[in-house]
Amino acid sequence: MIKKLLLPLFTVFLLGCTDQTASIFQDEPGGSITNFEDNIHGTYASTYRPLESENIVIRNATVFDGNGNKFQNFDVHFSNGKIQAIGLRLVTDGAKEIDGTGKYVTPGIIDNHSHMGVYPAPSVRTSSDGNEATNPVTSEVWAEHSVWTQDPQYKLALAGGITTFHVLPGSANLFGGRGVTLKNVSANTVPEMKFPNAPHSLKMACGENPKRVYSSRGPSTRMGNVAGYRNAWIGAENYKEQLERDPSHRDIRNETLAGVLDGEILVHNHCYRADEMATMINIGEEFGYKVSTFHHGVEAYKIADLLADEGICAALWADWWGFKHEAYDMSIANIAIVDQARGGTGCAIVHSDDESGIQRLNQEAAKALAAGRRAGFEISEGRAMTWITKNPAKSLGILDQTGTLDMGKDADVVIWSGNPFSVYTKAEQVYIDGALAFDKTTNFMPHADFDLGVKEWEDK
Amino acid sequence: MKFLKFFLLMPLLLFPHAEDMYLIKGGMTFLPDGSFAKKDILVDEGVIVLVEDSIGDVGAENIIDANGKYVTPGLIVFSSLGLLELSSLPETNDTSSNTYNAGFDPSKAYNPFSQAVRLNRAKGVSSTVHVPQASGYFSGLLTYTKINEGYKQKKQGPLGLVTSFGQSYDDSRAANLLFMEDLFNYVRSNKDDNYADMTQFMLGTGNDYKFTSRDLKALLKVLNGEIPLVVEVSRATDILNILKFAESQQIDLVLWGAAEAHMVADEIAKADVPVILDPLDNIPRTFDSLNSTYENAIRLDQAGVKMAFYYAQGAGSHNAYLATQSAGNSVAMGLNYSTAMKSITSNPADIFGLVGVGSLAPGFDADLVIWDNDPLELMTNVDNLLVDGTDQDLSNRYEELTERYMKEKELPNSYRSRE
Repeated sequence: MIKKLLLPLFTVFLLGCTDQTASIFQDEPGGSITNFEDNIHGTYASTYRPLESENIVIRNATVFDGNGNKFQNFDVHFSNGKIQAIGLRLVTDGAKEIDGTGKYVTPGIIDNHSHMGVYPAPSVRTSSDGNEATNPVTSEVWAEHSVWTQDPQYKLALAGGITTFHVLPGSANLFGGRGVTLKNVSANTVPEMKFPNAPHSLKMACGENPKRVYSSRGPSTRMGNVAGYRNAWIGAENYKEQLERDPSHRDIRNETLAGVLDGEILVHNHCYRADEMATMINIGEEFGYKVSTFHHGVEAYKIADLLADEGICAALWADWWGFKHEAYDMSIANIAIVDQARGGTGCAIVHSDDESGIQRLNQEAAKALAAGRRAGFEISEGRAMTWITKNPAKSLGILDQTGTLDMGKDADVVIWSGNPFSVYTKAEQVYIDGALAFDKTTNFMPHADFDLGVKEWEDK
Repeated sequence: MKFLKFFLLMPLLLFPHAEDMYLIKGGMTFLPDGSFAKKDILVDEGVIVLVEDSIGDVGAENIIDANGKYVTPGLIVFSSLGLLELSSLPETNDTSSNTYNAGFDPSKAYNPFSQAVRLNRAKGVSSTVHVPQASGYFSGLLTYTKINEGYKQKKQGPLGLVTSFGQSYDDSRAANLLFMEDLFNYVRSNKDDNYADMTQFMLGTGNDYKFTSRDLKALLKVLNGEIPLVVEVSRATDILNILKFAESQQIDLVLWGAAEAHMVADEIAKADVPVILDPLDNIPRTFDSLNSTYENAIRLDQAGVKMAFYYAQGAGSHNAYLATQSAGNSVAMGLNYSTAMKSITSNPADIFGLVGVGSLAPGFDADLVIWDNDPLELMTNVDNLLVDGTDQDLSNRYEELTERYMKEKELPNSYRSRE
């Protein structure tokens, strides 16, 4: 019998995965790629096309706008894929009316740390595609080239109100590769799921994982990790100089790093310990880039002021800890302390890094809110809602398009059966760009191809 | 301790242990029948003496006002609490063994001062079932311990023998079932020679699993009906096979995990086999669990299967207390509240025949939680935890770290106070 552990394993976030299988990177044929701009807007650009938007007004609901506010008896109107207005007794022309009495409305929930698609279900070696663990520096790989579009986990996240998620490579490497931001829509190709105009991201990882994976060849220490980052950035600087002399020169490993130095690619840095986060900030200063977001940051509360001063977001769990040494110094109020730093100018994010947690990000925010209040902070529900809407949108560089219910933004909207900070509340309807993507009341949800022929019992 | 059934008729009765007595007043109390009602609870010498609408002045030294609060039995979790500090560091992990398998009982490794134990107390956990993870054919023996402060904990066990059945990287599951059958038959027919030598049997099977006589004696406990076989299993057909196996061997069975149990819920109910599961397990994580669904707990309940819940999601064993979140979500999915609450208190006790724990009734150990709101809600706090009638210290390293970095955040570490 296979020895399966009765208790949860931590393979995914310990490392993403330890799969050492080398993948064969294939350049897209025929693509004429000369610079970063073409990479995200050209050959590999999003081809996402939203379904036809409905024209809907939700009446008399409790509304979290994503900006930190909570409004009672508010209406939310969207059409043409965009938020038209929120307010009291909106006058609309021909909009379908939804009675929101007793319901809550929020922006679509955003998870800025997911491995759906690159670690799909079922979890088998042959589709474990999240860590190119063959070299400590693999900035040349792109998570979007591993994403499996038929992962049956997307729809489960959708039922939890997730409209946008950020898929990252794992944390085996110092530079794990590029991440990709996706709309939570079923499609047959990855570009059709890509969030339009979302900046690319670069996954970096501190601490235990890289030095464990590469202990025999190096880096095998934290100082070795830091030397590895710095050498890579020096290489990127040299590459940029070379590119000035010869614009046709191609080096996809350095293209990603140069994209960071040019401010085009956002750094998402897996880092648990406070001292290491501070070191990573120093490295950013040395080479002239900024970290967008530290991920996991179990010790973020120890440097909450520094993070606020630097304008760096921290994407954190409500309560995960103790699975390794660098995750030992947990504070249950971590998210609240980061949020409240420097007069409430901190940028706190609740992330999942987990295909189960992503289904209940609202519940994770509720636990973090409760812990913050218990620690003595006065934090509103509206504020806590920003941890799973506005702030992750900001972290991903898509706040101009989603993350709040501001007029003109994408109509990514969730109608909840009650207060989303209650365990008893479910997402009832989820709209993406104004189109209904999930409806609990009619049991409408997308099915992956993988699901077909499996869940026959559902109809019996 | 006497059960003073007619206490209300004898208001002048003198209690001799005022300093050991707790009177918990007016809390919404979770009763054995599954309802909540406003009750007073009298505790003496570690045991619940009375649960009544109103209990007058009995001279209890400790009176806790629970008006506006909820009172439930202490949570019983399934975890590695006290056996494991950091799962990535094997030297801090006492849940596993290479020497023993079926006979492996990890309970002697229990460390009541583990930080995870303290945290879980602060979250309403009064006791845990140690889950062994030995690396052989069997994982070991389940045992039960209170997680109160100090060196002394009341323990019960062994409660069951853990194994798993299903997909495998080497042998077919059919072969695994045959092996288990052969092994059990061997143990049954050789019980009188005290298992001095397994060589002949092992040569016959051609595999390299080790069984010491301690392991085989543990198997005999299952065969003798002293403890159940606890089988981690997912696929519906595997569950049917295991039900049949248990019937043919005439052994007691408990199913664990059981992602596809809902598909064969009637068969499980008919066999009167309980299931331990996490209602949040809805991901088809393996080809054995393609039919994972939030409906699992609901359908098992409808079929009349007794369930216990544990938390099996990402936050891990250090947060075993999150069984409340699993239970709360099961209510959101449609399970009735009473079943959900029982599944993290009295049902674990019933399933494993634990004596005197898991319910708020006279004669039971005074393991109880006073919550400031609905215990299954996400934002509810624990105000008090009594274990064996003693109010527990709920302080923990994680609240201390929080305070330290909130109160004196401008100071470098060396200058911070340590309160």
